[in-house]
Amino acid sequence: MSEIDIQHINKRFGKVEALKDINLTVEAGEVFGLVGPDGAGKSTLFNILTTLLLPDSGSATILGMDIINDYLQIRRSIGYLPGVFSLYPDLSVQENLDFFAAMYKSSIRDNMNIIKPIWDQLLPFKDRPAGKLSGGMKQKLALCCALIHKPSLLFLDEPTTGVDPVSRREFWDILKDIQHKGVTVVVSTPYMDEATRCDRIALIQNGNIIEINTPNNIIANFKGHLCTMPTSDIFGLMKIMDRFELKCNYYPYGEHFHIVFYDDIKKALPAFEQFLEKNGRVHGEISSIQPNIEDCFIELIQMKL
Amino acid sequence: MKELRMILHKEMIHIMRDKITLFLVLAIPIMLVLLFGFTISTEIRNAKIAIFDQAKDSQSQTLIDKISSSGYFQVVAYPETESEIDQDFKDLDIKLAIIIPPNFEGSLENEKMATLQIIDDVSDLNVASILNNYILAICHDFINEYNGQGLEDGSIDIVTNMLYNPEANSVYMFVPGIITLIMIIVTALMSSITLAREKETGTMRMLLITPVKKVYVIVGKVIPYMGLSLISTIMIIVISVFVFKMPINGSIALLLLLCIIFMFTAASFGMMISAISKTQIDAMMVTMMGLFLPTVLLSGFLFPLDNMPMIFQILADIFPAKWFIIAIKDVMIKGSGFFDIWKYLGILILMAIVLIALSLGNVDKRK
Repeated sequence: MSEIDIQHINKRFGKVEALKDINLTVEAGEVFGLVGPDGAGKSTLFNILTTLLLPDSGSATILGMDIINDYLQIRRSIGYLPGVFSLYPDLSVQENLDFFAAMYKSSIRDNMNIIKPIWDQLLPFKDRPAGKLSGGMKQKLALCCALIHKPSLLFLDEPTTGVDPVSRREFWDILKDIQHKGVTVVVSTPYMDEATRCDRIALIQNGNIIEINTPNNIIANFKGHLCTMPTSDIFGLMKIMDRFELKCNYYPYGEHFHIVFYDDIKKALPAFEQFLEKNGRVHGEISSIQPNIEDCFIELIQMKL
Repeated sequence: MKELRMILHKEMIHIMRDKITLFLVLAIPIMLVLLFGFTISTEIRNAKIAIFDQAKDSQSQTLIDKISSSGYFQVVAYPETESEIDQDFKDLDIKLAIIIPPNFEGSLENEKMATLQIIDDVSDLNVASILNNYILAICHDFINEYNGQGLEDGSIDIVTNMLYNPEANSVYMFVPGIITLIMIIVTALMSSITLAREKETGTMRMLLITPVKKVYVIVGKVIPYMGLSLISTIMIIVISVFVFKMPINGSIALLLLLCIIFMFTAASFGMMISAISKTQIDAMMVTMMGLFLPTVLLSGFLFPLDNMPMIFQILADIFPAKWFIIAIKDVMIKGSGFFDIWKYLGILILMAIVLIALSLGNVDKRK
């Protein structure tokens, strides 16, 4: 049986359809990523799965328990790390932990084996008010609080948003460690690069799940041929691109211009170079590259449209 | 129960670490009592006056003694002509002058009446009318003691109105009012604001996601503030008894019981407010407009209810403050016992039960 089984869940807020017919399953022991831009519906789905919000229609089970009827039992066996810092800033690190442990009728010592790696990092600051910790430390404390009752399922809502790259990497190492201790992890993130650290990911956009697969499969399933080109005038380039006849997809990618060809690359590439020259555009070297998750995400959204 | 103990402990930490709020909560009651007692007081002591005694007989001397020993007046001059009185108003800053007519004793003896002339400094109307009332009361006393038959002075009405506060002692009026306000500020406002703060900062979500009973969360929130407001109330009563000589004619145990019951009513208002407000601003506005203002305006504490239009009198019945103030005055001043005020206690308890039921029905709903 799956740890999470979601069937046809819908949720709307007034005129906004936040979730449209969501179906997905999460298996025991995996790190499952919910990847999508802000406003895609990640947090709404999390609120429903953590029994804080009721769906308009559809059903879901968590660890075999129904999210609507068995919500009290579910709350005992899941951990939740919210997207914004939600601990008591005037309470010290230790006091916050003690408090949340007591809410689960547990104690710090009872579950030391699971929180040990994080607790060791927090120990030097245990008497400091939680509000005075650095961003990374705050997240580690919140994670510690979410794990204090040894949940079998852990929900992390954008745990690394606003955290520096070094702390982000550390945080993901900790997640892997938690996974190895037998906890199933569901994590949402707007960062595409983090998606590759998940076992499976669901790409979500405008309340729709576009794709559920392993990161490697998603990259392997990339349909087109991706090329990149440095350019100093992305805006000008974007303006003339609709005059290019061959089937392609293009978008700015940092300082670069990404273009995906769907015809034979041997014909498409020279045609594109010719097109650029005809329009009098100076361009850098065009090179073929491997797509990353972000390129795949953009392609999948384009195909949906 | 371990959870409830922990929530209480956490709440105490919040209170103890927020030094400024703690200081304000404890200092405001003291400040209010002292302010009302010493400055906003409608009571005037040692007002400077002058007496022009044209009679200089034994009765006029008795009246002068009564006036100067009342504590309200300090006779600073004994002018001998009317123009001297004018001078005294200007030079000595007297608030009032009394002219005792010639043959004062004779008039009382033979005609059974005498006319006292009082000249007020009406630049402060309030002060003047208060001082006039003092003089009237003292004259009334004087006449009673004089024991002259048939000496009507038309002050019977005043006597009945001021039966329990013959000298318009203002401390009797404001202490119950201040206790009411403090209980509402500390118990209802503080607990609903801090609960709304948990909603704002997201810690409420963290609590909701734990299996802890929501009743514990709310009760754990309210109890510490009830404790704080009980401390404040006791401080107010101690100050009013020892500094302002307010009597406690009834039993102290009954007084405390009454305060604790009102505290529950105020706390249940707080719970109701927290159930409907999502942010601290909401909580503050709802408490101010929905509870604090009606309490100030419609409790009979500042404005007499008898003169209000019917609609406001009915509104006043809905809020707990009116009943509490009636009851606390009965206990402290009239010395009423439990059986005199049980009706008011019943009303307050009933209000608390209704409000708690309403707000608990609202607590654990998911949307």
